[in-house]
Amino acid sequence: MTRRLVVGVDIGNSTTEACVAAVSGTSVEYLGTALTHTTGVKGTPDNTDGAVAAVRRALDRAGHTESEVETVLLNEATPVISGLAMETISETIITESTMIGHNPATPGGEGLGVGTTVAIDALSGASGPTIAVVGPGWDFDDVATELNAATDRGLEVVAAVLAHDDAVLVVNRLRAPIPVVDEVGAVEKVPLGMRAAVEVAPPGRTIRTLSDSYGLASVFELDPDQTKHVSPVARALTGNRSAVVVRTPSGDVTDRRIPVGTLTLRGAGKTLQVDVDAGAEAIMEVLGRVQPLDDATGEAGTHVGGMLAQVRDTMTDVTGQPAAEIRIRDVLAVDTFVPKEVRGGLAGEVAPENAVALAAMVRTSRSRMQVVADEVAAALGCRAEIGGVEGEMAVRGALTTPGTAIPIAVLDLGGGSTDAALLDRDGVSSAVHVAGAGELVTKLIGSELALDDREQAEAVKRYPLAKVESFFHVRHEDGTVQFFPEPLPSHVFARVVTMTPEGPAPVATRHSVDHVRRVRREAKRKVFAVNAVRALQQVAPGGSLRMLDFVVLLGGSALDFEIPDLIADALAGYGVVCGIGNVHGSEGPRNAVASGLVDAHVAGA
Amino acid sequence: MTEKPAIVLRHTGYVDPAVLREVCAGAEEEGVPTRVEQVRDTDLLALAHAAALESSLETGIGIDGSGAVAVHHASLPADEPVQRVEAGSPRPDLRIAGRTAARIVKVLPLS
Repeated sequence: MTRRLVVGVDIGNSTTEACVAAVSGTSVEYLGTALTHTTGVKGTPDNTDGAVAAVRRALDRAGHTESEVETVLLNEATPVISGLAMETISETIITESTMIGHNPATPGGEGLGVGTTVAIDALSGASGPTIAVVGPGWDFDDVATELNAATDRGLEVVAAVLAHDDAVLVVNRLRAPIPVVDEVGAVEKVPLGMRAAVEVAPPGRTIRTLSDSYGLASVFELDPDQTKHVSPVARALTGNRSAVVVRTPSGDVTDRRIPVGTLTLRGAGKTLQVDVDAGAEAIMEVLGRVQPLDDATGEAGTHVGGMLAQVRDTMTDVTGQPAAEIRIRDVLAVDTFVPKEVRGGLAGEVAPENAVALAAMVRTSRSRMQVVADEVAAALGCRAEIGGVEGEMAVRGALTTPGTAIPIAVLDLGGGSTDAALLDRDGVSSAVHVAGAGELVTKLIGSELALDDREQAEAVKRYPLAKVESFFHVRHEDGTVQFFPEPLPSHVFARVVTMTPEGPAPVATRHSVDHVRRVRREAKRKVFAVNAVRALQQVAPGGSLRMLDFVVLLGGSALDFEIPDLIADALAGYGVVCGIGNVHGSEGPRNAVASGLVDAHVAGA
Repeated sequence: MTEKPAIVLRHTGYVDPAVLREVCAGAEEEGVPTRVEQVRDTDLLALAHAAALESSLETGIGIDGSGAVAVHHASLPADEPVQRVEAGSPRPDLRIAGRTAARIVKVLPLS
């Protein structure tokens, strides 16, 4: 019997996989696999380069050459374009520079000082309880000398506010210690001649008086109306080790809701509008009422409106279809928060602001896969054909996972979209794409931890965390400790790091390992666990997950160290068997589509 | 007699008092004491490493005759200091050298 070389190629949203097989009669021997980045948008002629590269690499690994290949099989894939946008929907504003609430690493002294703000070079004319305000350019010895001299003159200096990081140095040189808050960058904006209070908590504690409404009322002798007015100040200072509050005629801290426009969702014969600042829950609830979604638009001039328009434009460019025919078929809204510098803050204070992240997805029925097949054939000098539809092939490949049977559902956890497909007992398969996947997880992690660098957010998503505890050991997030025979570089010393294959890489954050871990797991849960349920409900008979027996996880994110567990947890209540695909009992969750193509080709031949 | 735990700072004796003051201030602001010793050694890294070995906190600072500063830890190879600040660096950099030494002791990120 003749032995033919067949290559299955799966062009996905972000990766292109190839799988080389030797076929003789109905027996198939898998020889090698490879994967590359998908070039261009899936389902467009730009895919050719990536497909050819993947085929060549797989052949190379299998020890074969291009000339031996008989047929290359491609999947019928519809272009899916996804977009992400984020709208910050709250804002904290401090007016009249009335409040400084920050956590300098080393404030000085401790306790509460209440007095009138006076610049340090004007202390000689001051009287009564006084808070010294020290601008940049003052040396700690000179500050201490001035304050001691003022005290000797009989002035009651009760506290100080400094621009530089030298509170401890100053306090160590004072004859009578006072609370001192330092690292106040914009100290020149502190209003002078006003009644103010400075509080520094002992190490390991947080302030008690200025973070309490009645504490503020007592300090500033406020009436009940005024107390109502300052309660946001108290709330804003909660959890700080040190704080300064200055009482000015109309100073205030406000937490403002930012209107960010509406989202218009159309489907099921209805057109509904929802305010984006109503939050993810409200958006998803409205989305549920217009299923199946026909289209979505956002208000011009907002991030969401811009993103939806851009997704549409990209699809128009890619497929040549007029924009009017391109429809947004799914959106996923997720509540998140973004640490933002407080407007009017004097010490670079940061407040966590509420935000809504939105992923959207558009697909068309117009695939140009035949063009890709023709170009691949020309490049490799062999036959290339479209061997099957993506969803069906994925199910076929997933079915080779030991322990599975029909009816079977697959969940393909990709970068831009989460896809589900179902094969039922009648041999009928259905497939669905929903918006939101790995890239949204990266974005949520990046914004919630305020990482400027996308690579760092990606590393937090992909690798477990650890804390470097000495030059020679790290404590992993699960508590185990690992020793290193060579010293760890000083830029990771005492830092939270991701354990990448290249070694520990620092995460630019002051948060603890526990906090970063919580943000990471929550981002994965909010996207993948939610989308797993959403996607499976759309393919499950009668929309009921209880009707599913086997769910197989495929795609790059199925290789993640915790996403499969999070999804299994989310599906546990439905009596579903859920696990990571192991194509042909050996390939893991990769290559389901590529090997499904080969299997289908052999079965059909 | 046992010495109190401190970062040991060793210098050659010809050090600019302003340099010494800033380096010590960096550690003091972090709340970690320093003990200053004058020795005959002249090599910067050898000064710093010997100081680290001498310190019960295993952390040392060396300042050579030119005013260059090195921060070291006893567990590290002598030729791999944690930080080096060249002679003639501005005051904030000198302050940071002292801060780095203190942060090694407190196991806090160095920058």
